[in-house]
Amino acid sequence: MDVIVCVKQIPDPETKLRVAASGKSYDPDGVKFTIVNTYDEATVEEALRMKEEFGFGAVRTVTVGPARSEEALRHTLAMGADEAVLVETPPNAVLDPLLVARILSAVIKDMPHDLVMVGKHAQDDEAGQVGSALGEYLGLPSYAFVTGLTPDSGAHVLKMARYVEGGEEAFGGPFPAVVSLLKGVKDPRTPTLPNILKARKKPLKKIPLPEALAKVGALPGAGNPTSETLAFTLPPPRAGAKMIEGQTPEEQVEKLLKSLKEEAKVL
Amino acid sequence: MDFSITADQKELQTAARRFAKETMAPRAAEADKKGIFPEEVYREAWKMGLMNLNVPAEFGGSGLGMIEQVLITEELAHACGGMTTSILANCLALQPINLAGTPEQKAKFLAPFCADYNLASFALTEPGGGSDVASMKTTARKEGDHYILDGEKAFITNAPHASLFTVFATVDRSLRHKGITAFIVPRDTPGLTTGKEEDKMGQRASATSTVNFEGVKIPVANRLGQEGEGFRVAMTTLDSTRTPIGALAVGIAQAALDHAAAYSLQRTAFGKPIAEHQAIALKLANMAQLVDAARLLTMRSAWLFDEGKSVTLESSIAKCFASDMAMEVTNEAIQIFGGNGYMREYPVEKLLRDAKLTQIYEGANEIQRLVIARELLKRYS
Ligand SMILES: Cc1cc2nc3c(=O)[nH]c(=O)nc-3n(C[C@H](O)[C@H](O)[C@H](O)COP(=O)(O)OP(=O)(O)OC[C@H]3O[C@@H](n4cnc5c(N)ncnc54)[C@H](O)[C@@H]3O)c2cc1C
Repeated sequence: MDVIVCVKQIPDPETKLRVAASGKSYDPDGVKFTIVNTYDEATVEEALRMKEEFGFGAVRTVTVGPARSEEALRHTLAMGADEAVLVETPPNAVLDPLLVARILSAVIKDMPHDLVMVGKHAQDDEAGQVGSALGEYLGLPSYAFVTGLTPDSGAHVLKMARYVEGGEEAFGGPFPAVVSLLKGVKDPRTPTLPNILKARKKPLKKIPLPEALAKVGALPGAGNPTSETLAFTLPPPRAGAKMIEGQTPEEQVEKLLKSLKEEAKVL
Repeated sequence: MDFSITADQKELQTAARRFAKETMAPRAAEADKKGIFPEEVYREAWKMGLMNLNVPAEFGGSGLGMIEQVLITEELAHACGGMTTSILANCLALQPINLAGTPEQKAKFLAPFCADYNLASFALTEPGGGSDVASMKTTARKEGDHYILDGEKAFITNAPHASLFTVFATVDRSLRHKGITAFIVPRDTPGLTTGKEEDKMGQRASATSTVNFEGVKIPVANRLGQEGEGFRVAMTTLDSTRTPIGALAVGIAQAALDHAAAYSLQRTAFGKPIAEHQAIALKLANMAQLVDAARLLTMRSAWLFDEGKSVTLESSIAKCFASDMAMEVTNEAIQIFGGNGYMREYPVEKLLRDAKLTQIYEGANEIQRLVIARELLKRYS
């Protein structure tokens, strides 16, 4: 049983973003990138856990992104993935989630895949569309918000869990399938130094974007984003906090109440 | 000339940074305050492969080059200097075996450190003096196919927890440095005891104690190299560990600079952030220059080491400059924090206490300057 995990490298949540000159994205200049999106890392861990527990075939990771994304793939290889594929985009390529899913599906079709896994969303654009779209383009069932899965290869079904209002739901379905994961059974492992070094020697295939787009060509709406970003703006700066002065707690409470009533008008 | 690091090196650096941030930093303040030896942190470091960096891969170690060791050390020290000293102590203690061990000694004594979490100590310094190694009092008396060790070692890092010691003793005191011989001594050898843990000024997450030898009987097979070769083994060991000590000082200083810069943007005085007062901005600029210069000196020394060149001079310059720099930069960080900087509640006073040790151990800076002057004057005579 072969698993493919799609991953994405995203800006570090602590990095400061600036709006690019185009006004339609953030300026990647000077942005620090994380190794890999947290949900994708959890998904790689879940795939590796299943490989170890159930003796799967290979775990392969795929990303669509600029050259720097190789770091993210190397990280997944250091965690224990067997091979990786980078669809290398020009630094400022504009790709929307559906186009990314098309490119991924075109690449994945050429690879053995009993299971395709994605994190529930990437923490940068939080679009959360790639999983479902992949299911559509690959013609496979897709399961979303999964919190852990167990394959039953004999019966060819996946047993899965997901959170629902007030509890956890157990459900099942056939595979091959696309699973988008909210969280895995275990916390993602940290690669050890020896594994980081070993990962350098694992196969990492690079496919230039035009080559991948040529494969996409056969699909309707070929190669064009289906959505367009009109503007990219930062949230308005937060207003400063107001300190309530006062000699005693009673006095401070009185002033706080007055301020809530008269200034904030919430009481 | 190329100042960039490779993708491999960058990934090792990132892994070390992550370990430092997630596993070491959250324990640093408490370990410092209470003088706790955070064994679980060291076990995790071992699991990650962050210990025994200098043990060759054929014996199960990481077998990393000096540049990698320096990159990793700086990241770890950014989170806690004391923990980093205890993590590095294995490299120091095992290096004599790397350098002078026979294939049998290497297989027997290095492997357990890679197969499992174990600590080792390097026992050179004595209560009577650390700088004047040749006046060593610990003796090794040969009896048949054994040596009997008697004496005392002082300030030995990790000694209370070590399972193995590399020990320097003299077979004949009158021979001075030519009598010094290196030995491998397992902890459970009868007659070997360690003293109480020292209550230190800084680096309090590390453990330090005396080691006593009373009629400690070890087989001749545990001697490293020949009789009289111990001084050279000790000096070449220190030649290879001084560079990471420079990196340790750089890590502490970088942490001080990071804290000070962030604080200076938040703290206001006279109606604006203190960073906008030129006196503070210039301090930060000086600190940044010092940290940068020290980092480059340690990297140069590491690069030369990996090229197989002698680094006696360059590693002394790196260690001495970086440790003096770390004292200055941590001191300035406290100044930028003002009264808060003097308080235990804030992180910077610990950095100064931790930095101080780097001027003293692995050859006090006075000795480094003697070495630098000696190497320098050779070129003029
Ligand atoms: C926390 C800690 C951990 C340590 N860990 C280890 C360890 O794991 N293994 C180990 O073997 N040792 C260890 N040491 C010992 C350390 O290496 C010694 O403290 C150091 O070498 C200095 O020796 P000393 O303390 O005996 O000082 P001394 O040699 O007595 O020197 C005192 C002062 O005189 C100066 N001085 C000495 N000779 C000269 C000279 N010729 N010219 C000018 N100035 C001179 C020194 O620089 C110093 O300032 C550790 C020390 C500390 C504090």
